[in-house]
This record gives sequence, structure tokens and C-alpha cells, in this order.
Amino acid sequence: MGIDIGKFLKNPEYEIKITTYRDIFQAEALERDRFGEEYRKLSAAIMMSKNDMKRMGFKPGDRVKLTNDNGSIVVELRESKREEPGGVAFMVNSPWSNALVSGDTGGRGIPEFKNISAMISLAKEEVTTIERLIIVR
Amino acid sequence: MPTVMELYQLLPKTNCKKCGESTCMAFAVALLSRKKNIQECPPVLEGKFKEQKDKLESLLLPAAGAEETGLIVHPELCTGCGNCVVACPVDVANDPKGAGIGGAPTNDKVIFRVLDGKVVASNIKECRRFGMNRVLCYACIDPCPTGAIEFV
Amino acid sequence: MVTCTCTGCALLCEDIDVIIENNRVKEVKNACRRGAARIRGCVNRLEPSVNKKQADIDTSIKKAAEILKNARSPMLFGWGNSTCEAQVKGIELAKRLNAIIDDNSSFCQGLLIERILKKKFRTCSLEDIRNRADVLIYWGSDAQDSQPRHLSRFSYFPRGEHRQHGYEEDRTAAVIDVRESSTAKICKGHFYRIPTGGDRELILALMDALSGKVPKYDKRVLELAGIMKKAECGAIFAGIGLTYSIKDDPDILVALADKLPNFNIMPMVGHYNMRGFNENLFKETGFVNRIRFEGRPVHNDGYAVVEALRQKSIDALLVIGSDPLSSLPGSIVSHLADIPVICIDPCVTLTSRIAAVTIPCAVSGVESGGSAVRMDGRVVELPGIIENNHLSDQEIMTGLMEAL
Ligand code: SF4
Ligand code: SF4
Ligand code: SF4
Ligand code: SF4
Repeated sequence: MGIDIGKFLKNPEYEIKITTYRDIFQAEALERDRFGEEYRKLSAAIMMSKNDMKRMGFKPGDRVKLTNDNGSIVVELRESKREEPGGVAFMVNSPWSNALVSGDTGGRGIPEFKNISAMISLAKEEVTTIERLIIVR
Repeated sequence: MPTVMELYQLLPKTNCKKCGESTCMAFAVALLSRKKNIQECPPVLEGKFKEQKDKLESLLLPAAGAEETGLIVHPELCTGCGNCVVACPVDVANDPKGAGIGGAPTNDKVIFRVLDGKVVASNIKECRRFGMNRVLCYACIDPCPTGAIEFV
Repeated sequence: MVTCTCTGCALLCEDIDVIIENNRVKEVKNACRRGAARIRGCVNRLEPSVNKKQADIDTSIKKAAEILKNARSPMLFGWGNSTCEAQVKGIELAKRLNAIIDDNSSFCQGLLIERILKKKFRTCSLEDIRNRADVLIYWGSDAQDSQPRHLSRFSYFPRGEHRQHGYEEDRTAAVIDVRESSTAKICKGHFYRIPTGGDRELILALMDALSGKVPKYDKRVLELAGIMKKAECGAIFAGIGLTYSIKDDPDILVALADKLPNFNIMPMVGHYNMRGFNENLFKETGFVNRIRFEGRPVHNDGYAVVEALRQKSIDALLVIGSDPLSSLPGSIVSHLADIPVICIDPCVTLTSRIAAVTIPCAVSGVESGGSAVRMDGRVVELPGIIENNHLSDQEIMTGLMEAL
């Protein structure tokens, strides 16, 4: 293989839509230990279709930064195991996904947990820890 | 038993989808679990794949008779949802008021039970895939959300 | 071996056998993966504390009462993981304090449960579903992952009184979702994928199709409408995917239900006793959540936990059986750093880490008993099967009242 040209380019950013879902294995990990490695592994991740990943030049296992007006997190990128037409990325509902959810509900009190817009780019940083998601005084 | 990879290596690997699966790999998995047979892949029936086709057939032959009890549960994939417990016709016949109506099994004659959130299989000799009047039953495989049950 | 009720989700499975040895769970039978984990319990049990220093439980409760008493606008929030008995006491406590009371349904299934309790929807019991239902529509709901035994215990797979044949012959299950969920995988042939937020459009198209008009929509909507029309006894299992998507106009689902005389609507509830809280508050106030007691109950969307935190309009928060720091938008929880938080939970949570007072409680269903309301409205008893020294959430509520 040639040189990894990506290294020499400005880190490209893409706009993505994220929707959240539930996962029984993650729910099990939550019951056991919400500060544990297992829960983080199953939560701090974003699933994308193969095509979307290819289009953005990402590969499974990459760490990506997700950023919007509400927050910024680093998670692991995984290939969706399901058949997906693409265009939408998926995250299991967790404090990580919630870091990106807007509190503005038009006064109705129900946030857009399942309709999140964010920018995605490759990250050098480590995956965000749960400790970082707890606000400190 | 052959592995999925062994079967896959013998397929045309063009992902042409003519078999109804989205990839040759998916078709190989379907072959192994006996949901599909080789005849459903038109390209491999063409003359130039004769060798591969013969090899595939010989690999798949022994289990086609379903003589041995090749039931495997992958506990790491199982969610404990109990779909297989309730759907298995043996469980329904042997425990109509328990497993048959969606509840916990009320006796030891069922094939599937959920222990610590994962399925364990026993009484496998009762499975309809074996014995005199065997049929190719999929009643536990089809309802499984994660592919945790396999016959090899 | 003892039999217990699982509080892992609002299915409240009552057929769980547990083998206990030396007062510890040795084996759990019949519960799904999630339920088994709930019954086995967490690794980090919560300890009583005041201002992050270890305290005895009485001191914690006294300090909590003091905080609530001194607050001008306290909120009592959580409740979905508490027994009915604790919830009723909690509502009393809110009255006594002139506090705001809200629960997880406020940003979950409250909209639909309210309409169920106001009888805007036809609904039925899960046993009715098992015995009669022939068409099952999982809409924005991945039951396999959220209420894992829903299909096996009640809806699709079991033989019922009037559904004696296998599911392949007697029942049709369809899934409407934005992703190919585990439930969608099982209902393969009847998976209808919609775009995020596309639920309303599909409802309108279905209504057209049901009234014989040609919908401006993918042709498959006719197929789905055909299945629904033929139902002798149908059910729409409405998940939060659907609820979130129609939150600005939930009555659109009422309009669809009106066109389907053979259908029942059932909101898919997650937390084991969220519906119980909704029913208990409804009995008392006529509303399912978002209440402030000011001599009389006042309902206002400003009393939704999300709004109250965003507007920073509360000055103390009691959290019971919930982890808002984990489940609410990160952008609004910063207010929690500015006000005293009281956390009642069996386990260490994100919220307990920042709480001024922590009060550990028993795991309901396992370490303490009571009753709860299943997702379909049936009251289920929780026996409580393990001897232990933890106070139940009900006892903690009583303790708080006494300390006031
Ligand atoms: S028809 Fe056979 S060769 Fe073609 S893609 Fe399918 S499996 Fe592969
Ligand atoms: S193959 Fe059929 S009979 Fe055998 S275990 Fe599975 S469901 Fe039961
Ligand atoms: S259907 Fe699959 S996931 Fe569900 S209990 Fe059976 S093996 Fe486990
Ligand atoms: S389906 Fe729900 S109530 Fe039943 S065992 Fe699983 S988590 Fe517990």
C-alpha cells in the first residue's frame, strides 16, 4: 500500500444524521455496571453503513469525533451489521448519544433523542470516558 | 461438517444475487443451515463450475440426512427472548400449557429452556430433524433475532 | 427455588424461578438476558452519604428532608422504577411540599398513556393479545431489545385460545421502523422502512388507503393497509420511535385508530412501573405527569423535567430510580451542578456521583415487594425474594415524611 495520504490532508468533516436505538446487550451491561468497560464498549460507538463509511473515507474501528452545538464526543466507528440504505448513522441510546441531544424542545419537554445532526471527523483523542460525561462543579 | 468459509471458497464469489441472497457469503451461510440448496445458485450450475459444484455437494451430503444431532446454541449471541422455546413444535407438544402458550416450561421434556438469560438445549434427540419421520424443521432458527441457533 | 416477578421492563414477567444460596442469587430461570441481569443486581451498590461523605441512612434521610423543606421550588423526579406504594407516598410528599412531580414518561410514553387513560384509544390486555390477536404491528418499537419476551410470551409465538396453530398460520407480524431492528429481522417479509420522522406521513397514507383513496406513497402501503383491514383482532404496539415522531400531534394516531375498529393500541413501556406512576397521578390529578401542587394540582409543560432543568426553575431535585444525568440531554443537565440533588437508587449512578445526598434502597421485586402496573394496565404483585437490610423505596418515602 502507498502512503496514507489522509494524514497530509486537512481532517475532513462531514455532516451526518444520527438516530438512537436500544440494544439488549447494552441494557444488560447497564444493569450490571454503568461505569464498566462493557457498557462503554457497547455505548460509545456509532454504526454506519459500508457505503457511507467509504464515501467519507472512514473504516471500521476508526475513532471519530462527533460535534454539534450541544456537545462533542469521541466514539468508535463500526459497520452496521444490518442492511442499511445509508444516509443515517445509529447510536445506542446512552449518555454518549445524549451529549449531542439538544435541550430545546419548543417548550414541549420532549427532546429530539432520535433525530440528531452532527459533524463527524476522524479523531486522534481517546474515546470519551463516562467520567467525562459527568459534569463536575 | 464444512465451515462457511469452505463453502464460500467454492462459490462463484460474484455476489450476483441470483440466489436471492445479497452475497455469496450469505448464500454459504444459508447452505450450511440448509435454508438453501446448491440448485438455487444458477451460476454454479454452469459447466465451468462443475468441479466446485461436485465438491459442494459432497461437503453438504452427510448432514442432508440429518443423522447426527448437530444443534449448537451460541450463548454469547442469545438474548434469552424465549422465541425458540415457544416456537419449537416439540416444546409445544410436550408442554402445551407452559412453553406452548409462551410461559416458562412446566416440565423437563422441552428442548429449550432459558437459564441465566441464555438458552440451553436438552432432549435434543426429540428434535424433528432426527428419528424415523424426520423433517427439515426451522421453527427455532427462524424466530431467533440473533442467529444464536445453528444446525451443523 | 422461589418464583419472582422481573422488574427489568414493563412486561413484569411473573414466571421467573430463582435459586438462592446464602442469600444470593445463584441461578435465574426463564428471564431474558436483561431480566437476569436485573435480578442478579449491579456491582456498585450505593452507600448513604451527605455532601460526598459517608453517613448513616437516618442522617441521609434527615438531610434530604431538610433540603426539600428549605427549597422554594423542589422537584421530585423518577418513579418508573418504584412500586405503586412508593409512588403514592411520593405524590403525598409532593403535596406536602408544594413540589413539582414528574416522571420519565414526561419524555417517553406519557403522551400515549395519557390518551389510553382518557379512553381515546381502544386497548386490551396482553392475554387478549395472546388469545385473539392475528395482526401485530410493531411501530417504532424494537420489542426484541426493549421488552425481549413480548413476542414469545404474548404476541407472535404463543398458541392462544383462538390462535391454536403456529404463528406462521395464525398471526401476521409487521414492523414499521427507521432501521432493520431485531424485531424487524424476525418479521422479515413485513418490514416497512420509513425515514426518520416519517411516521406522520405513513399514518396519513394509511388513512387514505383505509378509506379507499389512493395514497401518495410507496405502493407497499396498500399491502400494509390490506393486512390491517383483514384483521379480526389487531394491535399496534406503539414504541417511542413512533411517539417521538408524532409528539407535536399525537392525536393523529387517535385518528388512525378510529379508522381501525378491530385494532387495539398499546404503548410499549420500558421502565417497569412507569404506567403505574401515570395511573396513580392520573387518579389524583387527572394528568399523567408534569404537576405542581399549590394547594391544588396544576399541570404545565414547564413542569416537565427537561423544561424545568433547561429554564433552571427548580432549586432542589429528588431523583428516585432514575439517572437523569445519563438519560437527559447533556446540554441541560448542567443545572444539576448548581442545585442540591438527592439520589435514591440501589446502585451508583451518574447522578448519584454528583448528588448532595445519596440514599440506597432495595432492588424492588428482588429485595423488596409491592405492586406495579404492567404495560397493558394489569396490576402485578412483586413478592420480593431475598432477605436484606436495605430500606424499600416506600420505606424511604415514609422516612422522609416523618423527618419533615
Ligand atoms: S447466485 Fe450463487 S454465485 Fe451468484 S451471488 Fe448468489 S451465491 Fe453467489
Ligand atoms: S429444529 Fe424444530 S424440532 Fe428441532 S429443536 Fe428446532 S424447532 Fe425444535
Ligand atoms: S430465539 Fe435465539 S435469542 Fe431468543 S432465546 Fe432462542 S436462541 Fe436465544
Ligand atoms: S421481558 Fe422484561 S420483565 Fe420479562 S424477563 Fe425480560 S426484562 Fe424481565
